[in-house]
Amino acid sequence: MLDTFILGLSSGSTCLLTCGMVFFPYLMAGSAGTRKIISDLSFFLMTRLIVYFLLATLAWYFGKTIFTSAIFRNYISGILYILFAVMLIWYSVGRNRKPDCPAKIVTTVNNKKLVPVFLGVVNSLGFCPALLLILTKSATQGTITQSYLAFLGFFAGSSLYFLPLPLAGRFRKKKVFETVGTLATGLAGIIFIIKGFTNLIGGIING
Amino acid sequence: MKKIKIAAGIFWAILCLLLILVLFPGLNNFSSGISRFPFMKINPNLTGGEAAEQIVMKSCTLVVRKPVFDGLIGERKQGFVQIDWRGNLPEIISDTIDYDLDKKPDFVIRIGRSESSTVLKPLNPKVRKVGISTPTSYGWSARIKIEK
Amino acid sequence: MDETVNNPSMKKSFGKSLLYALPMFLITFVFITGGKPDFSDPAGTLAILATFLGMNILYFLMHYTGKTDKFRAIIFIVFALSLSFTLIRNMLEIRHSMSFSQADIVECKIPFCHLVIPMMILPAAFTKSIIFPGTILGGFANISSMAVLWLVATLVLGRGFCSWGCFYGGWDDGFSRLRKKPVIKKISDYWRWMPFAVLLMVAITAALSLTPTYCSWICPFKAVTEFEQVTGMESAAKAGVFISLFLGLVVILPVLTRKRTQCSFLCPLGAMNSLSNKITPFTVKIDKKACNECFKCVDVCPLFALTPEDVKNGKVSIFCSKCGKCVDACSRKAIHYGIKGIPAGSMKKFSRNIFLFVSFLFIAVFSSGAIITVIKSIFNLFI
Repeated sequence: MLDTFILGLSSGSTCLLTCGMVFFPYLMAGSAGTRKIISDLSFFLMTRLIVYFLLATLAWYFGKTIFTSAIFRNYISGILYILFAVMLIWYSVGRNRKPDCPAKIVTTVNNKKLVPVFLGVVNSLGFCPALLLILTKSATQGTITQSYLAFLGFFAGSSLYFLPLPLAGRFRKKKVFETVGTLATGLAGIIFIIKGFTNLIGGIING
Repeated sequence: MKKIKIAAGIFWAILCLLLILVLFPGLNNFSSGISRFPFMKINPNLTGGEAAEQIVMKSCTLVVRKPVFDGLIGERKQGFVQIDWRGNLPEIISDTIDYDLDKKPDFVIRIGRSESSTVLKPLNPKVRKVGISTPTSYGWSARIKIEK
Repeated sequence: MDETVNNPSMKKSFGKSLLYALPMFLITFVFITGGKPDFSDPAGTLAILATFLGMNILYFLMHYTGKTDKFRAIIFIVFALSLSFTLIRNMLEIRHSMSFSQADIVECKIPFCHLVIPMMILPAAFTKSIIFPGTILGGFANISSMAVLWLVATLVLGRGFCSWGCFYGGWDDGFSRLRKKPVIKKISDYWRWMPFAVLLMVAITAALSLTPTYCSWICPFKAVTEFEQVTGMESAAKAGVFISLFLGLVVILPVLTRKRTQCSFLCPLGAMNSLSNKITPFTVKIDKKACNECFKCVDVCPLFALTPEDVKNGKVSIFCSKCGKCVDACSRKAIHYGIKGIPAGSMKKFSRNIFLFVSFLFIAVFSSGAIITVIKSIFNLFI
């Protein structure tokens, strides 16, 4: 567990690069207080933990062959990124739109605390080299407990970087920060679209 | 209070005028002053890091730099090691490198200068692949991606 | 009617304008020639004289006509074109290509540009180093000199840097003037906050990846300066982004909207300069007593710095780059250059005189090198 914790700690900054960019603007663009931010962050981290546990189970069950498959890595993550990125941009652009705009659906998603859940899912499924390493490790573990412990260590190490994020909410009350945060969320969406297409194109080229 | 505000505004404006007047004649002095700040050095991820070992060969010098793992906070798991060849280089460069100075060879690198080909043979599991391999003004440089 | 409407003009008599232009004439002569004019090279001498005279005529005209923007725009646009020309010529001579190679990166020989500054701050604080492959001191466009120039300019001019100092802004300023009337008239001022979002994103990504992400992936001006050699899919995608953003935000949208869209919606340094607008002593003021709320200033502002609400409140926003377009457009002279602390409508000429001197001196000296190089090259073609 210690080695995966260290791995999570070392790769946590990369994790923040992929999800902090989404989560930080999201928190700034929110409309509730610090309590809401803490609850959003908890949902986000909880989702990550659940997804990691699911991954740990799958890794242990299927073994490493499926997880090294280029199809899974490129096509599925590519499609997920694109879908999620479109949702983010929708969320960003739709804020100033009329109530009949399709972005209303995303606003509804926001109210139901599903956005942090979506963020948690995508962040957990971002197949970075570190996660692939953990998957490989889990796939080769003898018992499911060992597989869970490996993922728990990784989760704890990489989550440390997200803990100071509620402080961002202190600036949130100002309209300016809300606007900038919303626009930044849209930009993060564009980054994820690019990432998604890169994965898909890479998948097609590499077969 | 109004008068104080006006006077302060005018004073600040005139100070800015003086600042612009001295900016261009004093640019070299200001620049060398600012260059002495502790953060005014290029990050090792870009410079390639400090030299760890220099091996003088027949017609050229081989410089093995210290491995670079620098991250924003602490070190990253993945980094690179830069190797420079300086001087008159042979057409084919082929060297065995011990980048961690543990007296054990870590990789063999073979560079064909005319066709710009670089072949890496890792001897250490921490050695991954060739990052950059390029002719430079002083000879040739290669950055090999490694793990911690 | 108040004093503002009775005496609306900033015009000066010929003699008075000459008197005001004289200090600029002397100072620019010393700064541009370095105090030691060298007349041995005829093309060089002619280029220096042409630049020097051209600039001082523009400054004289600012005083004589009482107008600012159109004369500022001439030097600003010529500066942008000249700098791109100088850079491209320099690269073609040295590298025989507009792109820089991997060797230039490895040897840290990339010329520094002020747009990198927003990405430098976090890594400089955490790693005590600069994340740009350039030279700290010495060589062309070194990091120290450019940092000092920007620091002083932004302290003194605030976002005025974007209209009086930036060597890229002239591109979209120029294209925004090509049509007399805009095709796209309605753009929400919500988008003017976009540069802050870009600033936030590039600051985070640059800090975490320790690479200047804006330069590597976004900067539209790579299309007219230098970009990474296309060696694979990634560098081809980057080149595609640079060219698309240049065409979209610097050429097409400015032509269609008559606004500086790249500066308004993308530039992260513009966002930083907007913040320093809070420090600078120079500002643009609205005299509510003289204003009849025609909102002509709102229409002409190229950077979305004025909204009807701003005008009604009598305050320009932090996005103002002090280009002078609104000042020139106001028939009642209700909007004018001012100094913080001095109430709107008071000491208008004094404030304008000091601001023009400071801002014009900066752009005149900063741009002179590139403009002289271009004029010299043109002369060399004929002499």
